[in-house]
Amino acid sequence: MLLHYLDLSWRSFKRTPLVSMLMVLAIAIGIGVTMTSLSVYHMMSADPIPEKSNQLYTVQLQIMDDGNTWWTKDNLPSQLTYQDAVNLQNAPIPEHKIAMMRSGFSVHIDSDIIKPFIGEARLTTPDFFSLFNLSFIYGGSWSSQQEQTAASVVVISEKLNDKLFAGKNSVGKVIYLDDLSYEVVGVIAHWQLTTKYYDLNNGAFNEPEELFLPFSLVKANEVVTWGNTNGWKHENTRTFADKLQSEKVWIQFWALLSDAKQKQAYADYLLAYMQEQQKLGRFKRKVLEYKLRDVNQWMQYNNVVSEDNKILVGLSFMFLAVCLANILGLLLAKFLRRAPEVGVRRALGASKRQVFLQHLVEVAMLGALGGLLGIVIAQVGLLAVRQSYSYYESLATMDITMLLSAPIIAITTCIVAGLYPAWLVCKTNPAIYLKSQ
Amino acid sequence: MLEIKPIFHALCRSKVGAILLLIQIAITTAIVSNAAFIIQDRVAFLNQDTGYPEHDIFKFNVMTFGQDVDINQQIELDETMLRSLPEVIDAAMSSSIPLSGGGSASDFSLKPAPQEGLSVRTAYFFIDDHGINTYGVNLVMGRNFSEDEVLVTNNVDKRPSVTIVSQTLLNELFPKGNGLGQTIYFGETPLKVIGVVEKMMSPWLKDSRPDNLAFIPYINAKSLAQFVVRTKPDQRDAVMKEVENLMLKNYSKRVINNIKGLDELKNQYVAADKLMMRMLIVLITILVLVTALGIFGLTLFNISKRTKQIGTRRALGARKSAIIYYFLVENAMICGVGLILGCIAALLLGQLLMQHFSIAALPPSYIAGTAIMVFVMSLLAVFGPAKRAANISPSIATRTI
Repeated sequence: MLLHYLDLSWRSFKRTPLVSMLMVLAIAIGIGVTMTSLSVYHMMSADPIPEKSNQLYTVQLQIMDDGNTWWTKDNLPSQLTYQDAVNLQNAPIPEHKIAMMRSGFSVHIDSDIIKPFIGEARLTTPDFFSLFNLSFIYGGSWSSQQEQTAASVVVISEKLNDKLFAGKNSVGKVIYLDDLSYEVVGVIAHWQLTTKYYDLNNGAFNEPEELFLPFSLVKANEVVTWGNTNGWKHENTRTFADKLQSEKVWIQFWALLSDAKQKQAYADYLLAYMQEQQKLGRFKRKVLEYKLRDVNQWMQYNNVVSEDNKILVGLSFMFLAVCLANILGLLLAKFLRRAPEVGVRRALGASKRQVFLQHLVEVAMLGALGGLLGIVIAQVGLLAVRQSYSYYESLATMDITMLLSAPIIAITTCIVAGLYPAWLVCKTNPAIYLKSQ
Repeated sequence: MLEIKPIFHALCRSKVGAILLLIQIAITTAIVSNAAFIIQDRVAFLNQDTGYPEHDIFKFNVMTFGQDVDINQQIELDETMLRSLPEVIDAAMSSSIPLSGGGSASDFSLKPAPQEGLSVRTAYFFIDDHGINTYGVNLVMGRNFSEDEVLVTNNVDKRPSVTIVSQTLLNELFPKGNGLGQTIYFGETPLKVIGVVEKMMSPWLKDSRPDNLAFIPYINAKSLAQFVVRTKPDQRDAVMKEVENLMLKNYSKRVINNIKGLDELKNQYVAADKLMMRMLIVLITILVLVTALGIFGLTLFNISKRTKQIGTRRALGARKSAIIYYFLVENAMICGVGLILGCIAALLLGQLLMQHFSIAALPPSYIAGTAIMVFVMSLLAVFGPAKRAANISPSIATRTI
């Protein structure tokens, strides 16, 4: 029966090609525009690490004395001070946690072919790789022993390994970062990331770093941060040692808390920690505050999806509503014109239900065609987005979810629009049309 | 004369079509007026004057890894080399770069820290006496730094004593306009204001204080330094191509990268806004077209449905103009109601956007402008089909289907 209805629909399409094409075009444009903005939104807000996103938590501490304000929604600084980060890193719980910051070096090796270049670096503790599910092609992370002794070791990205060592196993080789030599201990596989969720300070859609070094080198080698440093009170930080001791925030911190029990235990620990620090004259405030946010909460808190994108998605759906009203009008015109034909079908024994279904199938077919054409339009739109803003290179694409939802949205929209005209036409009283013919 | 009543009654007989059109017009008005306002806002943001001749200026980074030179001395040599190039007007090391989205800011206060006084958020550059000329900004009051006022040091305890600031900053700290020659505090360091620049934007165009900037004559070069060069008009590209080689020829144990024009930096910083603006323009253009097509289609449909009535009216003596007039009035009635609803929807949408996002209140002029435009567009869309209706032969009334 369905095939028969489809056949009827196709005949009807061919009978009024102009109106039918107009309808398909209206749906396609509506879907194209909506899908363009929705795809960017979808990629931006997508969970970057679904299997772990509710176990990875960033730690925020309210370090400011009473009376100071921050610019975040809840008045909490989004990074930690160096001393807090080190203390929490040395804490007994949880088992896996990372302190880290962003920096950069000039990279060179003993070679005449490869000119020195700038490489972005992350100084972090060894759990970084396992926490964020990074896999190694060669070697592995540095040991906690090496972390403690601030060993001169480095993990490099696959891309860097290709550039420096032509993709061969480089474990044990030496590279120079600025004026110091480091031994390569591992090479990580390419890290495909749409959102740089682990450090949202300097652009949420930047590429991950290519060099990873022990966090203890920050102090040992006085490595300056390439990320943000924020202060909330006047402090004299003329030397690096001053900065390490200061109340300025510049370190990111993540903890792996697998269940609610662990989270509660860690929360209690953080409170106890702050109380202890209060005795040392820090955290001069009545109410101690901290916050543990998981990956998705963290992305929301940092407004990874920009206002503009939300507005665009909203406006696009309103646009789709206009297209829907348009289609509804055209469908009414098309179906009612066909009332005499329907009258004959009804007289020959077709039930109301069958007539209704037949028209819905026709509408769904238009929707499917529109949806497919809409994908094409959306691809053009996304191409234009990528061209005009290279920062969105990996975001302005349609993944499989979006590709599938385009026709689904199109067909649903069309069926919603088609309900009333189909109902109207199935109510046709056969007698009238039989008489006049 | 006005046949509103019969037209209205005729409309009531085909309500659904009219209501659909009405909804389309209402939503279109709401979207277009709000989008137009956002677009206008972005255009103003993108076209603002920054105070710099953006097309003649470029920057580059120098990352020194060699340990066998004093970086401060090396930078002097580099600056001298760059300034001696015939295409170059001036060059200087600058601790941050305007319009780039990266730099340092602090509160500048009327009292030394930790005392509390009127304080204003300000971006600041450490730069020497060539800064004003390199950036090509307009010094409207006071004077430039003298060479002895520029503090070149590796000793962090030494502090500069003067500053040149942007007019907006000075006006905010000294609303009476007597700021020149006064002392302001950068942390606990007193700085005497010796010059005022008419306009120079900070690194962040979207900052709460985008045009507050202070130049401080303090040179303490680190392994990572940024240079700014202003060239003669149209000669920037040539210098940009050569600069890496020239710098490496001066001293080779370093990396020169991020060679970018000031206009390019600005474009990068505002790319998202440009994209938003373009997407909105495309959105409202297509939207208006779709709505116009909708009106066009619906009128055509109405005419084909009423061919017989129109023929009868013509046979009974109605002029062609009366038929056209009929459809125009009918459309104007639908459109009028749609526009009233649309204006209300536009206001509501504007309020919604204002509540949830950082968007200013929608000025009524945008709604009015959009309403007029939609009205004219709907008349244009209806005119073609109406003319066709007017050409229906009266003889049609005498035939059956």
